[in-house]
Amino acid sequence: MSLDPTPPRWAETLLRAFLRPRDIDCVSGDLLEEYRDSVYPHSGRRRADLWYGGQVLGFVARRVYAWAVVFAVAFLARTAMDWLLPTTDFRLRSTLSTVLGVGILLLAGFRAGLRSGSFAAGPLMGISIVAIAAPIKIAGTAALLAMSHSPSTIAAIRGSGGLAEVFTLPVLMIVPGVIFGAVGGFLGSAAKRLSSA
Amino acid sequence: MADVLGTFEQAVLLAIIRLNEDAYGRAVFKEVELRMERPVAAGAVHATLERLERKGLISSRLGPGTPVRGGRSRRFYHMKPSGLRALNDARAAVENLWQGLKWPLKGIV
Repeated sequence: MSLDPTPPRWAETLLRAFLRPRDIDCVSGDLLEEYRDSVYPHSGRRRADLWYGGQVLGFVARRVYAWAVVFAVAFLARTAMDWLLPTTDFRLRSTLSTVLGVGILLLAGFRAGLRSGSFAAGPLMGISIVAIAAPIKIAGTAALLAMSHSPSTIAAIRGSGGLAEVFTLPVLMIVPGVIFGAVGGFLGSAAKRLSSA
Repeated sequence: MADVLGTFEQAVLLAIIRLNEDAYGRAVFKEVELRMERPVAAGAVHATLERLERKGLISSRLGPGTPVRGGRSRRFYHMKPSGLRALNDARAAVENLWQGLKWPLKGIV
């Protein structure tokens, strides 16, 4: 049995995917040293694992937060438009919001892949964007509903897919998040390999 | 004059000065926590070190790992003259703001 405590494997994998290659050893080493030297002896395995996971999520949130906010704002803008400026022809709006959403996920995945050189950074970036954006979107939609719920708005909501759609779509976006994040991550990590070849 | 440093950037730069030859990631993180008297996220320290290096205020080099780190290397940070200038400017800016006032402030309701 190893005497050295080891932090959760998922957290190490996640951390590595979001770091630049030059930082992987030093940053993961810094966290491991603090985990083994300070947190684990004082707090025990469970709290030390929680601490390590929290630190890693902090790293991830810093990389993802801005993308997630842009993603959420784009969704909320589309929702507000559908509710406050009703239309019967959603083609242009749907095309624009789809292109924007896919573009954000592709670009974020690409940047993550390019930065880390790891394909896995792309889908992890996509999942993280959706996970952080979903509560922002749901809270924003609820606030919008609280501010504007006149009969005409309620009719516009029904005409644009209903409330169920706007509250479930942010969570369902996890699928495109993985797919387009992965495509971006693949392209970004390939670009990184080409540029360093 | 360059951009004025934020409080956290100053804390990180001052930690590098205090630690001198031992200023690697975890040591900087611990020193910042100690001086700021609050828990600090390792990610925040790392992001700040990355930004300060990109701004050309500090430089870094890789050093050997230790067994407790699983042999993983350490990145040691060093102040550059531009970093010292930025810290001096930041200090001067604060002192200018406080000039003529007695600390701690009293009697303002």
